[in-house]
Amino acid sequence: MNVLEIANLSLRIGVQDILHDISLDVAEKGIYAILGANGVGKTSLMRCISGIYHPTGGEIRYEGKNIVGLKSHQIVDLGILQAPEGRQIFSNMSVLENLTIGGGPLKTAELDRVLGLFPKLKERLKQGAGSLSGGEQQMLCIGRALMRRPKVLLLDEPSLGLAPMLVRFIFDLVEEIRAQGYSILIVEQNAKAALRIADRAAVIEGGKIVMEGSAKELASDSRVADAYLGGHVAAH
Amino acid sequence: MIDPYYLQQLTIGISLGMVYALMAIGFTLIFGVLNVVNFAHGEVYTIGAFAGIMAIAAFGPPFLVIVFIVLAVGALAGFSLERVAFRPFRRFSDEASLKSRAMREATLMSSLAMSIIAREAMELLFGSEFQTIDIGYLINKPISLGPVTIVNGDIIIFVVSVLMLGGLQWLLKYSAIGLSIRAVSNNPLGAKYVGINTDRTIVLTFVIGSMMGALAGILVGLYYGAVFPSMGFIPGVKAFVAMVMGGLSSIPGAVIAALVLGVAESLSTTFVSSVWADMVAYLFLIVTLVFFPQGLFGARRERV
Ligand SMILES: Nc1ncnc2c1ncn2[C@@H]1O[C@H](COP(=O)(O)OP(=O)(O)O)[C@@H](O)[C@H]1O
Ligand SMILES: [Mg+2]
Repeated sequence: MNVLEIANLSLRIGVQDILHDISLDVAEKGIYAILGANGVGKTSLMRCISGIYHPTGGEIRYEGKNIVGLKSHQIVDLGILQAPEGRQIFSNMSVLENLTIGGGPLKTAELDRVLGLFPKLKERLKQGAGSLSGGEQQMLCIGRALMRRPKVLLLDEPSLGLAPMLVRFIFDLVEEIRAQGYSILIVEQNAKAALRIADRAAVIEGGKIVMEGSAKELASDSRVADAYLGGHVAAH
Repeated sequence: MIDPYYLQQLTIGISLGMVYALMAIGFTLIFGVLNVVNFAHGEVYTIGAFAGIMAIAAFGPPFLVIVFIVLAVGALAGFSLERVAFRPFRRFSDEASLKSRAMREATLMSSLAMSIIAREAMELLFGSEFQTIDIGYLINKPISLGPVTIVNGDIIIFVVSVLMLGGLQWLLKYSAIGLSIRAVSNNPLGAKYVGINTDRTIVLTFVIGSMMGALAGILVGLYYGAVFPSMGFIPGVKAFVAMVMGGLSSIPGAVIAALVLGVAESLSTTFVSSVWADMVAYLFLIVTLVFFPQGLFGARRERV
């Protein structure tokens, strides 16, 4: 059973073809990893799903219903939440405000659950979010999305720029929240770690999917190994 | 012992400053969410004043009812203004274009156009001279406090403004719409990711800012007994200066700057003719831009 299906998606901004014929399915309670170098269109794809960019062709189906054309807030209301690239937290607002915003009246049960996952944030609830460290900001960004009890969680390079210990924390967390029943689509440059936790994965190059399959298949594919698992990438 | 004359000028200055503050907040809130200056804000002030005196002429309601009518008309003006002059230029929704330069320039022209259209329309309808207002409604009844004489308008303006400013602070801190306004000001793209309806937030920002501007218009109109189609221009400039001095998108900054401006202007009439008092604002603007380009409170400002 697929919770999210992307079919023949294409995106053009101005004269630039950014995505071309992207198709992939995220299984319910699955982890799907998207790999690829910088500038190949991973973030653009994630933005299409969240309704920030509007695709020029194809469909994005959520529980069988096409969501292309919906506004970003409608997509959030459906239960598709994203921890975006660059975190996009509200640096001038408190940690607590960042967590509770947009979600209607404060749900203490949700807050307790999220703070249970990120005890570091609990000590800093009243603090301005801008004063958090990079790792804490990433936790806040993921926590903010989890506050809405999403059905699908989109993660765009959650480990970017984090110290190795925090990278491990983030990947462990992703596995843990999958175990709690979330479906996850994760974009990562850290291919090794991503393929370890994912069920399926795709590699994007130049706006197209050039390889798709189970995470095991991809991890043992020599082309993936050369391009993404060898050399400096694996050194992460 | 301070000369009572100065106390009197100080009172007038605070009243003026409060009115500038009410207006500056409209500028500041809108600049916060869109990074644009709404050049039609002065006309919202004028529309507020006209709505008030038309209500008075039509059925002579109690003061509080006038306030609510003016707030409603201001809300409607803000809503329409956003629809006509701002929304059409916000077709794309990535972070690059929500606060883009092209949009800033386009809305600068469209809001200026709306301002001219509104002013000319009011001149056609009402003529360009002062409108007659029922004397009983003017808020210039003298009140003696020992050696100082103030007018009841000073008290009314102070109370109404403080209530509005306090209400706004509460709204921004605790209400869902207030949090949305702050979120869109802080990070419009982030606001989309948490499911905030940014279009609705922007229109509500215009509504709230315009309610404040319209209220400032009727208060000043009844304080001076002067309501005319171009009355919004000078206060618009002053409020704009207060916004810049306050750091463009800081509400406390704008309010403090507006009060400083009002008091400085009122005290300056002691030394120079009142014609020159308007120059005080321009002087402040130049000094701010040259020495404090981030605004007087720029260093650790919080947007909205
Ligand atoms: N709003 C935009 N306008 C123009 N080009 C864009 C826009 N967004 C993304 N792009 C282009 O799309 C390509 C893919 O970008 P992106 O999706 O951020 O890649 P990735 O996340 O894989 O690094 C880049 O060449 C980028 O310049
Ligand atoms: Mg990216």
